[in-house]
Amino acid sequence: MDALGELWEYLSTEANWWGAQGIAHRTWAHVRISVLALAIAAVVAVPPAVVLGHVRRGGLFAVSLVNIGRAVPSFAVLVLAFPVAIQLGLGLGFWPTLVPLVLLGIPPIFTNTYTGVRGVDPSVVESAKGMGLTSGQVLRQVEVPIAAPLIVTGLRVSAVQIVATATLGALIGFSALGSFITEGLAQFDDGKLLTGGLLVALLAVATELAFSLLERKVTPWTQRRRRWSLRTLLASTPMAPRVPGRTTP
Amino acid sequence: MSITEGDVAIRLRGVEKRFAGATQPAVTSLDLEIPRGQIVTFVGPSGCGKTTTLKMINRLIEPTAGSIEVLGRNVGSMKKPELRRQIGYVIQQIGLFPHRTIAANIATVPKLVGWDKRRVAERVDELVELVGLDREMLQRYPSELSGGQQQRVGVARALAADPPILLMDEPYSAVDPIVRGRLQDELLALQRRVNKTIVVVTHDIDEAIKLGDRVVLFEVGGVVAQQGPPGDLLAAPASPFVEEFLGRERGLKRLSLLTVADADLTTGWTVEAATPSSEAVEVMRANGLEWIAVRDDNRLLGWVWLDDVAAVTRAGDAPLHEFRAHVTPSTPLREALDGIVTSQTRVAVVIDEGRYLGMLTIADISESVGRGTG
Repeated sequence: MDALGELWEYLSTEANWWGAQGIAHRTWAHVRISVLALAIAAVVAVPPAVVLGHVRRGGLFAVSLVNIGRAVPSFAVLVLAFPVAIQLGLGLGFWPTLVPLVLLGIPPIFTNTYTGVRGVDPSVVESAKGMGLTSGQVLRQVEVPIAAPLIVTGLRVSAVQIVATATLGALIGFSALGSFITEGLAQFDDGKLLTGGLLVALLAVATELAFSLLERKVTPWTQRRRRWSLRTLLASTPMAPRVPGRTTP
Repeated sequence: MSITEGDVAIRLRGVEKRFAGATQPAVTSLDLEIPRGQIVTFVGPSGCGKTTTLKMINRLIEPTAGSIEVLGRNVGSMKKPELRRQIGYVIQQIGLFPHRTIAANIATVPKLVGWDKRRVAERVDELVELVGLDREMLQRYPSELSGGQQQRVGVARALAADPPILLMDEPYSAVDPIVRGRLQDELLALQRRVNKTIVVVTHDIDEAIKLGDRVVLFEVGGVVAQQGPPGDLLAAPASPFVEEFLGRERGLKRLSLLTVADADLTTGWTVEAATPSSEAVEVMRANGLEWIAVRDDNRLLGWVWLDDVAAVTRAGDAPLHEFRAHVTPSTPLREALDGIVTSQTRVAVVIDEGRYLGMLTIADISESVGRGTG
């Protein structure tokens, strides 16, 4: 039997879907730990990044953090977290998987948030201050909303990485989609193996799409412009690049 | 020129600003009074401290010494947001909020100070009309507007909560010359309606002269080289620096401040259209004229050549030529001069609501300029 046939057979067997080892339960466990890891990472990373971006300091720190985040393989963190978790009595599975996922999620969120807030046009901030917005109002009403697309991008990058990496949790006893892969390999069950791979891929793509939608939702102003330029393109009028603030009425 | 006590909107006393690490102070013991309800322009070379001075008024920059009073209150004793909400602020880059619609941008300060929705909406409508924007732009985002339109929104936003004072930092430097000229005219028209105290920082002496009721010319180090009505500076520069900064064509710049009404008009030689040509020719020969203007009571019909008049029976029957240069009493003399030098007859005819008032010659113009110089 070919691989796709085995995959189909595994997926079409109802018994494989339900129960503690079933597809439904493991998908839910995968989603749950990913959401939790992302939420913790966001709570840890966003506030300091926003504040540092607001005071326009700490650029070196932001860059270093992202570089370290990129350099350390998530698998290494996972393996290192394993003995620590055992020593702390947190057991196998959930906790030693969650901690590396959180650590993995922090750098993209931090860096994008910092860059987004730091990158707000200084003239916009100056005019906001000049009009009498307090420092907190500048932050909440101006800097964070303008940085929102980048903040969401950070969340998206983190979320996709977390979803993908949560798969590795199976190696240290976390029962989720990765378990289909490890078990499939061990049992020479290609159907099970491919099911795990397929579901992880689908979940990652779904995450990506969900955040892309969110990104549009938080940036109505760029969306409008996008639509506007699309209309212009459809009208096939050749036009010079639009530089805001330099064109004549 | 002294200003009486109650008429001072902004007063600087011994103001000094030293930036950390700089050897020279940016502003040195500056005393300045800005009268209420006038446009005052700060002009000078780069590094002269004009922008620093402006930003010390709304405390975006804090002075290292001296005191600044706004409407009789020491700004140092006020909370910054409270101070700034009474002072409109417009900058070169405009700094509109890209994530908010035009309507929301304009409504920023009214919302901050807690106006209710209906009042905010009414005010936004009023301002859109005041600065000459299209109502349909209200729901657009700043990136969808041209530079000139954004600048108008910037002014509307600054005026939103009706602050008595407006500070403008190089407001028109980023727009092209045609739009700039139009925006300057709009500001002057706006000021006639709102009557604010407006401080404009510019590096462009022509802009300073055009906009300012008073011009404050800064030298490097935040020292006032000369201040006063623009005509005074042009007529009598206080130092070689002022003279150099005002540039060549001081006379021409003064002409742009004066209007046709400031000049004494030559009545000019005219004849009624019905005058017999023999009579007209006689008048022209007696005065050495080659052409003469033809009128029908108060209406000016044009002008005719001597030779053409001699060939017909009545002055009005000769081929009429139109005057190229028509001006009104409110035309700036500089513009009138331009009309004169490009016309065949070397005169501009002055017409007010269809009524012929007289003619303006180059001699009339130079006389009116000479008068103020002393």
